[in-house]
Amino acid sequence: MSGSTTTRRQVALGSIFLLILLLLPLVVDGYYQTMLTTIFITALVGIAWNLMMGFAGQLSLGHALYFGIGAYVVALMAERYGLSPWLGFPVGFLVTSGLGLVVGFLGFRFGVKGVYFALLTIAFAEFARLLFEHWDYVGKTGGLFLGSVKPDNRSLITLRGSATFYYYAVLATTLFAWLWCGYLVRSRLGYFWRAVRDDEDAARALGVRAFRVNLLAAGISAGITGIAGGWFALMNGNLFPESVLGMRVSIDFIIAPIVGGLGTLCGPILGALIVVPLNEIAKEAGQALGLNGLNILLYGTLLFIVIVAAPDGCWPWLANRLALAGRSSSKPDGP
Amino acid sequence: MTESKFYSTTRRNLLMAGASGLIGSGLPMPAVLRAQTSALKVGVILPLSGVLSFPGIATQRGTDLAVRMFGDEGVKLEVSYADTESKPENGRLAAEKLIRDGATILIGAWDSGATISAAQAAEAAKVPLVVNVGSAPQITEQGFTQLFRNFPPSSEIVAKGVALFKDLPRGNGFDPKSAVVLHVNDTFGQATGGAVKAVFEKLGLGINILDVISYDARARDLSIEVAKAKATGADLVLPITRVNDAILIVREMIKQDYNPMAIYGPSSPGPYEKAFTDALGKFADEYMTSVPWYDPTTEIAKKVLARWAKDQPNDRFELNSGFGWESIQVVADAFTRAKSTKSEDLHAALKATNIKDHPMAGGPIAFDAKGQNTNIAIPLLQNQKGAPVVIAPAAAAGAKVKLPMTKWADRA
Repeated sequence: MSGSTTTRRQVALGSIFLLILLLLPLVVDGYYQTMLTTIFITALVGIAWNLMMGFAGQLSLGHALYFGIGAYVVALMAERYGLSPWLGFPVGFLVTSGLGLVVGFLGFRFGVKGVYFALLTIAFAEFARLLFEHWDYVGKTGGLFLGSVKPDNRSLITLRGSATFYYYAVLATTLFAWLWCGYLVRSRLGYFWRAVRDDEDAARALGVRAFRVNLLAAGISAGITGIAGGWFALMNGNLFPESVLGMRVSIDFIIAPIVGGLGTLCGPILGALIVVPLNEIAKEAGQALGLNGLNILLYGTLLFIVIVAAPDGCWPWLANRLALAGRSSSKPDGP
Repeated sequence: MTESKFYSTTRRNLLMAGASGLIGSGLPMPAVLRAQTSALKVGVILPLSGVLSFPGIATQRGTDLAVRMFGDEGVKLEVSYADTESKPENGRLAAEKLIRDGATILIGAWDSGATISAAQAAEAAKVPLVVNVGSAPQITEQGFTQLFRNFPPSSEIVAKGVALFKDLPRGNGFDPKSAVVLHVNDTFGQATGGAVKAVFEKLGLGINILDVISYDARARDLSIEVAKAKATGADLVLPITRVNDAILIVREMIKQDYNPMAIYGPSSPGPYEKAFTDALGKFADEYMTSVPWYDPTTEIAKKVLARWAKDQPNDRFELNSGFGWESIQVVADAFTRAKSTKSEDLHAALKATNIKDHPMAGGPIAFDAKGQNTNIAIPLLQNQKGAPVVIAPAAAAGAKVKLPMTKWADRA
């Protein structure tokens, strides 16, 4: 199949998928809208994490740091100072990007690589969690609560509202992040990331500034994750250090891109579309059988099957069957 | 309804009961309910798995018991559960799911974070949410119009409990002058630990808080914390715990032979649990706590306890079961008066709630402008002979307080 035909198929199927997402709230209720919004948030963090791990080859197991800080920045600005999240989101992005740059600087400047870099990211996230659990200003372990949405609320100003509002708002954010990351990985910077990921020494020898490009990956990835955290805070109305900065959060968020396919742009989205509903279905099955907690076992088993059946992730497998990838791009780094 | 028709024992009600052939049960059935055809769909949000599943399942048992008891009387309730997995953020999705499944009133969500999260969805859908357990003061301070909490905020639990502790008779070796606070470092523990220190100072107990020691909620060994507490030489130990850490603390105190005049956990869940008294046996005795509890002297509490003993012989009816039971009572009462399954009608009925006969100690269940029931009493409990008993206030007391505590070595 020629490249232009493949591209046309990609655009056609992508447009149909987007059109379905845009029309879905007309036919699904609040529950499914909220579940889909959770999928978008998971996909958004997955896209961000995948940028760093899948494309730049830097394993972070502490993305909860950026998610939690982004959530707290947006929530604190709205709740304590009455500032619109329209201001909170850019500030959240800048703060979390800055944190990403700091963590990245420490890691890349001093040659901390692989699992040691992963440990460094965990250490920062855990440090932040402990700090927030003892910091009066953010409510310590008692949490930070947002006020209720008022009857005269204007969603486009407060960025808070109904399940339908969050659905479209987070969908738009995820779409924007996906397009931006798509642009980046196809740009000169994206090629540098992959060159450094595949062989850093060779990339350096060819003139790639590995330190700088890795740092950019860390900063952008952290910033996008912070935005996802901000939406999480507005949607749920409460934040606790353990529920946004805990180790569980970091692990939960990396499952979707791994299942979907590392180093692919669509993998994190497909992964989120698989793991979030899977967890809900398993939970309902557990409750129907009267065995609370069975969902964790079912969820783990199903994930195990997915990983064994499609070790490169589900997206490369699906892309091949939908003829969305040429022979060379059926592997990661495809669409 | 200004008075529960189910449990009041007026002559008229007894005649009604006789007429309906229910004298044997002693629970007269309101005529209005017999005419009802459609059931009220109630959605209950609880942590049924994860770290909070222990109290979550206890709450579910109380909820189920109430559904059976009110069902026997003709109140048709269809209850569906949604599990938060002990994650606060799951409250919203759980509420959305239950509303999708047709629930026109919600109950939940045991922990404060999940409650606030669920309240966002309830508020948007204009579906009333009756809070069964959830003590964060912020729950009723966020401006939710659909929220009704039949559980006291943590600060109130501490203040009312410590006030009763202050009035305990001194002498015969019990005259504490100093205390040490040991608290779990989670949402509840940190808030309560801080409140305890403030309330002791505010009420002028004449007891000096020597130290406030916190520990991680996942701690598996508290030997260092107990050693620090012992080193203060405090006469009184004030542990703010859940079940497992309460057991760990007592075991360490026995091991280190630390014998204070009393152990008293203001607002502390755990020591009244069956798991605590079963695990520690005679060493669990004389441990005190002050939490919302059933009033064992009321007729309705006796009836609930009798049915509980029949249906759940291996479990203890306690705080969680009690408020689970009452959450259904509040909903059933609103349903009876509203004569409707619509959310707006139930909401209007909830605002006018005034239930005088209910099992948990306190005045009538009624909600103020913020949706808070301010009439909940906080009795003082002490474990005696392997079970918690009310020792104060005197009107509700089932036993006399035993202080100072018997030394560990003398309990053999």
